[in-house]
Amino acid sequence: MASFDGFSVFPYNRVMTERLLQISFRNALIGRQMATGGWSYGQASAQGDLEPTCLALLALRWDSSPSRARGLQFLLDTQNPNGSWPAFCGDDPEGSGLTALAVIALINSGELALQTERGLKWLLHSKGKESHWLWKWKFRTSDTHVRFNPDKYGWPWMTGTCSWVIPTAFSVIALKQAFVCCKTEEVDPRIRRGKEMLLDRACPGGGWNAGNGVVYGVPMASHLDATATALLALHGEEVDDVINSGLHWLERRVVTCSAPWSLAWSLLALDAYDRPVGSLADRLCDLSDPGRIRDSATLAAMILALDCLVQGNVFKVLA
Amino acid sequence: MLAGSVGLAAGAATSLPFLVPRFDQVRRPSRSRVAILPAEKYSERLERDLLIGLRLFSLDLRGKSVLLKPNLVDFLPGVDINTHPLLVVAAAQCFLKLGAASVSIAEGPGHQRDTELVLWESGFRALLDEQRIPFVDLNRDELVKTKLHANYTGLGHIWLPRRLRNADFVVSMPKVKTHHWSGVTLSMKNMFGVVPGAKYGWPKNILHWRGIEPSIVDICATVPIHFVIADAIVAMEGNGPLAGSSRALGKVVLSDDPVAADATCARLMGLAPERIAHICETAKFLGNASKELIDQLADPVTAPEMPFRTVPEFEYLQAR
Repeated sequence: MASFDGFSVFPYNRVMTERLLQISFRNALIGRQMATGGWSYGQASAQGDLEPTCLALLALRWDSSPSRARGLQFLLDTQNPNGSWPAFCGDDPEGSGLTALAVIALINSGELALQTERGLKWLLHSKGKESHWLWKWKFRTSDTHVRFNPDKYGWPWMTGTCSWVIPTAFSVIALKQAFVCCKTEEVDPRIRRGKEMLLDRACPGGGWNAGNGVVYGVPMASHLDATATALLALHGEEVDDVINSGLHWLERRVVTCSAPWSLAWSLLALDAYDRPVGSLADRLCDLSDPGRIRDSATLAAMILALDCLVQGNVFKVLA
Repeated sequence: MLAGSVGLAAGAATSLPFLVPRFDQVRRPSRSRVAILPAEKYSERLERDLLIGLRLFSLDLRGKSVLLKPNLVDFLPGVDINTHPLLVVAAAQCFLKLGAASVSIAEGPGHQRDTELVLWESGFRALLDEQRIPFVDLNRDELVKTKLHANYTGLGHIWLPRRLRNADFVVSMPKVKTHHWSGVTLSMKNMFGVVPGAKYGWPKNILHWRGIEPSIVDICATVPIHFVIADAIVAMEGNGPLAGSSRALGKVVLSDDPVAADATCARLMGLAPERIAHICETAKFLGNASKELIDQLADPVTAPEMPFRTVPEFEYLQAR
């Protein structure tokens, strides 16, 4: 007698498996919440970190448990006086390059307009250092080993540094999600400039590295999560050669990826572009022991990725 | 002659941030020790040879927590950019044999946010799991605000990973490479990896804006490097740290002084350490770069017939 393999015989069982895993991941995520209400990257840390907290809040956005409310309160309590968010609880007050992720978390919580507005204002004022005329001149004349157009700037990781792909992509997503129908004169150029920056920094072979496509005449290797995040920010735009080659690169490269963080982000991006993601979801499910996922930001990203097939893609934005 | 003059001028220009000393105290030992071990290839035999080499230093590691900091940048198939996992795991086993209470491996890659992906693809993850050696992602650890013990960058303080701060014995394990921004990347430049991405981003661009060489000096003045194991079995020349060419040197360099280690590695590369700004500056207060102050415990320093190739801006480093 053939053994019963419910997972392959009945397609709906895959959905059930995914659902059970999501519950298991969700419980693990809630179990990692700190007394302060925030989440840290690693369980050995007693410091609430911005990125895992925001991703956890997004992963729990449909959740009615007190965990979500405590997490939101932590996020609100840690906002800097200038409207930005610190990278972690106790950080210096200048503001983190992942402030946009906090804005995205608040927007998707559907409340707290004042804090979101303050975060958006900070985002609109934050820009890469290459946007200043002096540095533009330097990058055009003497400092030319990194190929990029300084007119096309986005957002930095830290105030006083250049634009990079991840903070720019999240900032574009935050602004697009915040201003769906009525982009002001201040907002529209920043979104446009951010998109131009992303398109300018793409790697020649398709996809994105951390920030630059060519250094010292050599094409940089693309990264899965940077590529996925850039593609999410560019979703809804007219699909051009850069976006197309990024998508193709991502589809090819993710086949050999066995790391949950990159798998999760790749799934989110490919889902936004209506590419088939069933096999990626299966592979994420294979990493089904949440105890082995030590990083809470990764655990939350996995929930978001599996969740997008059922409840919608939280990072999907329209033009 | 002209090339030499240009080189000296360029060297002087690189040294501009170092015109005024900005370190808080001189901690340079009177003499330093280096052991250059022959090692033709990456193999299981490394552990035995490394243990013999480490015993030359009579390290007292009993009860100490040891943190190994390899250079784990990214994974590019077919390109030798990372400290080889076999050398790192061999070092971990050696330190345990020498009495360490615990050994962990720690790194915070500069561009690649998915550290786990780099671990998997570079072969580290399988070895670490097999030998049950813990790994710490320094980009995502709990952070401690730390006053800099030198202030060439003007940063004043830096946030550092708690598990780095708590380690009793920090070992820098660089891959010996040329570097298109700093000339070389050796045990001191390798410490850029302890600067946490969660605070400073991917890459840690603030260090570039404050000056790569001043940043190297500030970090190394603040984070003690107790020992160096440099992977020069297969090194990199040309457009390092990612796009250079492999170059076999067949050596592992050990030292109890990072300045002495880097000066020695530079000489093995056919480069002049006295022209490398961060080595020159740290030789004023952290360690010894002068040959006369370094005891060679194993093989002698031999410069290659052909110096390592560099990008044109750093050709003046070549000791011709």
